[in-house]
Amino acid sequence: MSFFSTPTSTTVGSTGNTSGTAEKDIEVAEPPTDSISSLSFSSQADYLAVGSWDNSVRIYEVGANGQTQGKAMYQHQGPVLDVCWNKEGNKIFSGGADNAGRMFDVTTGQATQVAQHDAPIKVVSWVDAPQAGILATGSWDKTIKYWDLRTANPVATVQLPERCYTFDIQYPLMVVGTAERHIQIFNLSNPNTAYKTIVSPLKWQTRVISCFTTSPAASGFAVGSVEGRVAIQYVEEKDAQSNFSFKCHRRDSAPKDQALVYAVNDISFHPVHGTFSTCGADGTIHFWDKDARTRLKTFDAAPGPISTTAFNRTGNIFAYAVSYDWSKGHSGMTPGMPNKIMLHSCKDEEVRKRPARK
Amino acid sequence: MAKKKNKQVIRPWCWYCEREFEDEKVLMQHQKAKHFKCNMCPRRLNTAGGLAVHIQQVHKLEPENLPRIENALPGRDGYEVEIFGMEGIPAPDVADYKRRKEIELGLAAGSISQPPPKRAKVENRPLTEEELRRQLAEHMALMGLNPPEASAPADSSSSGAVYGAPQTYATPPPIPPMPGMTPGPPPPGMFPPGMQPPFPPFMPGFPPGPPPPGFPMPGFPPGAPPFPPGRPPFPPPPFLPPGMSPPGAPPGVFSPPPPPKFVPAQAQAQASQSQPPAAPPPAPPPTTERSEPTVPRPAERVRQPVLTLPNPALSQTNPDSKKAMDLKVKDANFSPEEHRAIHPKYFYAPISEGSSTAPPAEDSRGKKRARAEDFL
Repeated sequence: MSFFSTPTSTTVGSTGNTSGTAEKDIEVAEPPTDSISSLSFSSQADYLAVGSWDNSVRIYEVGANGQTQGKAMYQHQGPVLDVCWNKEGNKIFSGGADNAGRMFDVTTGQATQVAQHDAPIKVVSWVDAPQAGILATGSWDKTIKYWDLRTANPVATVQLPERCYTFDIQYPLMVVGTAERHIQIFNLSNPNTAYKTIVSPLKWQTRVISCFTTSPAASGFAVGSVEGRVAIQYVEEKDAQSNFSFKCHRRDSAPKDQALVYAVNDISFHPVHGTFSTCGADGTIHFWDKDARTRLKTFDAAPGPISTTAFNRTGNIFAYAVSYDWSKGHSGMTPGMPNKIMLHSCKDEEVRKRPARK
Repeated sequence: MAKKKNKQVIRPWCWYCEREFEDEKVLMQHQKAKHFKCNMCPRRLNTAGGLAVHIQQVHKLEPENLPRIENALPGRDGYEVEIFGMEGIPAPDVADYKRRKEIELGLAAGSISQPPPKRAKVENRPLTEEELRRQLAEHMALMGLNPPEASAPADSSSSGAVYGAPQTYATPPPIPPMPGMTPGPPPPGMFPPGMQPPFPPFMPGFPPGPPPPGFPMPGFPPGAPPFPPGRPPFPPPPFLPPGMSPPGAPPGVFSPPPPPKFVPAQAQAQASQSQPPAAPPPAPPPTTERSEPTVPRPAERVRQPVLTLPNPALSQTNPDSKKAMDLKVKDANFSPEEHRAIHPKYFYAPISEGSSTAPPAEDSRGKKRARAEDFL
């Protein structure tokens, strides 16, 4: 596939032992003016929704050669923390620090508020339930609310033990990660009570959770923590022997034997192959195969943290945002900090599973 | 950043030849290879003393016949000083080196040699009346008297450098109109099924900085309000009678509370327009703030939260790690996003609350002014 044939000049930090492909990655034109918090591809077409700390959500169309075109944009009253699409690909939902969840109708270009929390909404996700689609929003007000978009009140509210930091849904599995390292697993056919509550297998703050389904019988999730570590965890006890965790996004600092440990900012599963990406504040992205327990690909280090990543629906485009993630607080936001969205054309061997180890 | 820079500035350097190195390991390798290498055999020693002993004992040279240390600067080729990496360098030489380094890098004298002061430097000069007033306000804010707009300058004055950074960052380079982005509706047929009328394209070139919140977006159908007329804007939660959620209710149902969202939102928009991120707004003179009493911004600033744990008893601490490591995200209790969301640049105060706190804030402001004048 001649997906991204036009080479662009991208400055790439050299770390030596990485397989350099970043120079072929294409930069999205007219990126947001502040850090990018979230990326989401439509499940129907190559449309990319981008949430940003500049209070806006932008929608881009990605062409066959990777060229992008801004299509629409709407605003929150505070920074946007997450975006998602509905199943039909005609509505975009976003949650922000203005405590509001908004819906953007791409056919009419209208944005309406559809959800409200008492604190910033950190995660939004579309629940593709068989009866009717539902919007789930998770907030720092320690709740998850479900909205059917017809009424101003949530159809259900789930009280969480702590502030919601992340959740991910692979219907009917939903896994929620909160502050204080609680993880709650929900079966969305009974969305009001947690199916299981555990403490994160990782000992540091939970940053991101991403679900996967390997077979109808076995599903699980990946947890990324601030301490450069990812755990693969299966829902059912019978699969517990497959649980494991691994280190990533670390760098050996030269003066002492002291590893620089970066946060895992995002985990994205490939929609077809079930391999996944991790990205970190160290500016690197890795593709992994959890079953073979191998690393498939390492990107050249970007000049700034990778704040978020997303695969498109077919998995041939991998979008990642090089932008500041506040990992060093305010002082880390230097004037030269890059802020851009890159599109990487996934080669099959980068994302396909490897035969399991003997 | 200052800290980091500092670290880079005083990178390990070799006393013998004044070369800089990435880290001490490399420096030691360099010293072994360049300065502590025996020129009579392939042996490399760790220190000058070691080299001297080696030459005397292995090659049987008298102490006075020792060769000078190789590749060294004049005057530094002797064995008297025991150097090991960065250790053992005579203090005067360290000071001298730092001073030269400062000059070379165009830094202020003492910026390397002395640890940088924790807080911004206080200038030693008589304060202007303006500044005195501001400091008083700052002090009063500290004492809990809460003068609303006084805290705003206080905020910016105490953290001028901190505030300056994001401004430059947030200022986007003027975006030229994209060649591919023609204003006007894009040609039909580019849309997947289900997205029939093309939604409006971006304006050719965004306005620099985030557009004011609450405003209809450029590119929205002309005349369309931020909320479509057919559907009532979400009333702020306090007015929402629980359980009364009428699907498709006429807009009149919710009209009684005059949407408090809009007025402050616009006022806020004005505020953010008067302070576009492109302009350097850190310290707007207090007078201009005073002239705009309706601006909700000062109230916001006062309400500037600190992250508090809902249950302090459950405070988390990072576990001890077996190996020494430099964890980039150290706070076990709050995520980077939570820290970011309360930063003044991003903090969003719900308007409904903001408007309710505004009047008392207004009062205390008046009081504060009177007292300040008393004092002066």
